[in-house]
Amino acid sequence: MKDSRKGIEKAAEKWEAEILKPRVKRFNLDRSPTSFHTPLSCDTTHFLDKVGFPGQFPFTAGNNPFDFWKAHAKTAALFGFRPDWGGAGGVGKYGGFGTPADYRDYLLRMQSMGRKGGPNIAFDLVTQCGYDSDSPYAEGEVGRVGVAVSSLRDFSIIYEAYTGELDIDKVPSNFTINAPAAVIIAMYACLAGKRGIPLTKLRGTPQNDILKEFIARGTHIFPPRPSMRLFRDTCVFCRSHMPSLNINSIGGYHIREAGATRTQDLAFSMANGIAYVEAGLEGGLAVDEFAPAFTFNAFGGSMEIYHEIAFQRAARRMWAHIIRDRFGAKDPRSMTIRQPITAHIGCSSTTLQRPLNNLARAVIGGMGAGMSGGIPGAFPPFDEPLGLGHSQEAVQLQLDATRIMIYEAKVADVCDPWAGSYFMESLTDETEEQALAELEKIGNMGGAVAAIENGYMPRAVAKSAYERQKKIESQEEFVVGVNCFVDAHEIDVSINRGVEATYDPELKRTAEERQKASLAELKRARNGKGVVASLKNLKDQARDQDKNLMPAICECVESDATLQEICDVLREVFGEAQPVKL
Amino acid sequence: MVQESRIRVLIAKPGLDGHERGAHVVAYGLRDEGFEVIYTGLRQTPEQIVSAAVQEDVDVVGLSILSGAHLSLTRKVMEGLKAKGANDILVTVGGIIPEEDREALERMGVGGVFTSGSKIKDIAAHIRTRLGEMCPHEEENRGLFTEGTQATAGTGHEGQ
Repeated sequence: MKDSRKGIEKAAEKWEAEILKPRVKRFNLDRSPTSFHTPLSCDTTHFLDKVGFPGQFPFTAGNNPFDFWKAHAKTAALFGFRPDWGGAGGVGKYGGFGTPADYRDYLLRMQSMGRKGGPNIAFDLVTQCGYDSDSPYAEGEVGRVGVAVSSLRDFSIIYEAYTGELDIDKVPSNFTINAPAAVIIAMYACLAGKRGIPLTKLRGTPQNDILKEFIARGTHIFPPRPSMRLFRDTCVFCRSHMPSLNINSIGGYHIREAGATRTQDLAFSMANGIAYVEAGLEGGLAVDEFAPAFTFNAFGGSMEIYHEIAFQRAARRMWAHIIRDRFGAKDPRSMTIRQPITAHIGCSSTTLQRPLNNLARAVIGGMGAGMSGGIPGAFPPFDEPLGLGHSQEAVQLQLDATRIMIYEAKVADVCDPWAGSYFMESLTDETEEQALAELEKIGNMGGAVAAIENGYMPRAVAKSAYERQKKIESQEEFVVGVNCFVDAHEIDVSINRGVEATYDPELKRTAEERQKASLAELKRARNGKGVVASLKNLKDQARDQDKNLMPAICECVESDATLQEICDVLREVFGEAQPVKL
Repeated sequence: MVQESRIRVLIAKPGLDGHERGAHVVAYGLRDEGFEVIYTGLRQTPEQIVSAAVQEDVDVVGLSILSGAHLSLTRKVMEGLKAKGANDILVTVGGIIPEEDREALERMGVGGVFTSGSKIKDIAAHIRTRLGEMCPHEEENRGLFTEGTQATAGTGHEGQ
């Protein structure tokens, strides 16, 4: 006989009274430490509206029935393909250090070992903050968290590792760059020009997500509004000249890492995404002309696997509705969240204490990813909290864990395996509702830019970080090996280092000195008049809000003006971002 | 007199590193512990930090560094404080600090190094103990003060 709603309600009452309550009483608890979900928990009668098929609106069940990697999974296993080595038209592992020549040589060494992915460039903080290697701000930071790039010449030296079979019309590039993204995109375009490669052939992804820098990551240069003008200019320039280049990579996970709650993370990322769409529209483009070239870095990130799966499902549904209903998009490609990582634990879930435990943690994140439309990737490598740069051993363990989830556990053989679960559907609805309420609040303030200017978003994240810390210190939340199970009889398991360091420490140590000498030489040799003229032109153009600055920035880059010289001109016109007071 | 003024702490982000979570958490936490906390915001030069510390007449400077540049940045702050005759200011460092660098920092005169997983209460206790050691005759007064502020912190009061 078919269940009636009333019948389930009655049965639920009976269960609570006869089974649940006596048990709670028996263990002397205030309430049950578990929950159980029934058809009463959620509305499962609107499957097509709320879940739908993988690859169809609202994309709750996934962007596709299966992705590229899944189509080739068997071949990859037969041939021992390593995604972190790149190839098959992808980028290699994220990295960068020292001078451009140091990083070039490293890339060449990797290539000689068969690692032939496109460059996935980490820039040093000096570059990310719009300074040159010879700036007083640069002292101690040159080439440290990434490679130093002060000029087109520096950029071109890195790319000496990419010629012939691996030329830039054949391999894509990734640039983790935000505030000076316009300058790096200009360098990429100028490099293609020098090599006689049509811009239309260039593929890749600049991060170009300045708004989250104000909320979380902290490498902003200019105030939010002129920063968004630069975003608009890159968006329009990329669409008209470099149509195969993605425009940006919108990050939610940085916001989460900085301490945001799940709701804040989802709402703030969506608010940022909306602001980027509005910037593209302001640039005169139609939404379907550019939204398909938006990408996302990763959303979410915590150990709470059920919540993280619900989060991914809710995020896909929210974005699809925002793009279709609010902006009138017609192209389904505009409506999907294209991201390399779906669910994951977030680097801040890793612990310095008993670090090998981080592998167990990352696997849980990978399970969440595999069950929410992504590669079941164990991320990050277990040594993430130990310092900068992952060891080769940790990367190997991470990769093998991923392979075990794919090939042995077959985690990703089903699309959205949680679809229709009373619990998961109700959790997805709840996640979405809470994020929509927070998004409305930001909307009422005037959107993401206004909620950054008034300090709301950055402060909210800082407060949430502290709330989380209080929960850990008061043992309301437990972290194994940190605030529980820390007795002397616990064993700190370690592994023996047997593999060479990823980057040469000696090169890192001397990078600053060598990079400064190289920059001094460039400044002596270049045509000073050309530099001054191009910078003056940039300044004039910057004063007119309607002008697209990309052609002027390309001209500066080509004349060997440095990244800082370009940013300094813009600092003069735009001003500088001010630190947020707590 | 010391008992009239609360312990003043400057939480500072030297260099270009933009990771603020640790600085935020420690700033809020020490405020709830009853300290008077000033946060510099991002991207301060060692010179700016030294002059803020002297101007604000702080007892403690907490440097938060996750970029790997902790040795050179901390050295500059320590030298700067010394040059201004402010070596009585307790300096602590937090962030991603490899174990092998801890000793080097301590040799520079850094009072305490606090990495991921540290408790606010331990940082606060460290500050109280070290300041007590530096000025033993003031310890009692600080002790009295401390009890009072802990009671306040227990109400769940949070920094503004």
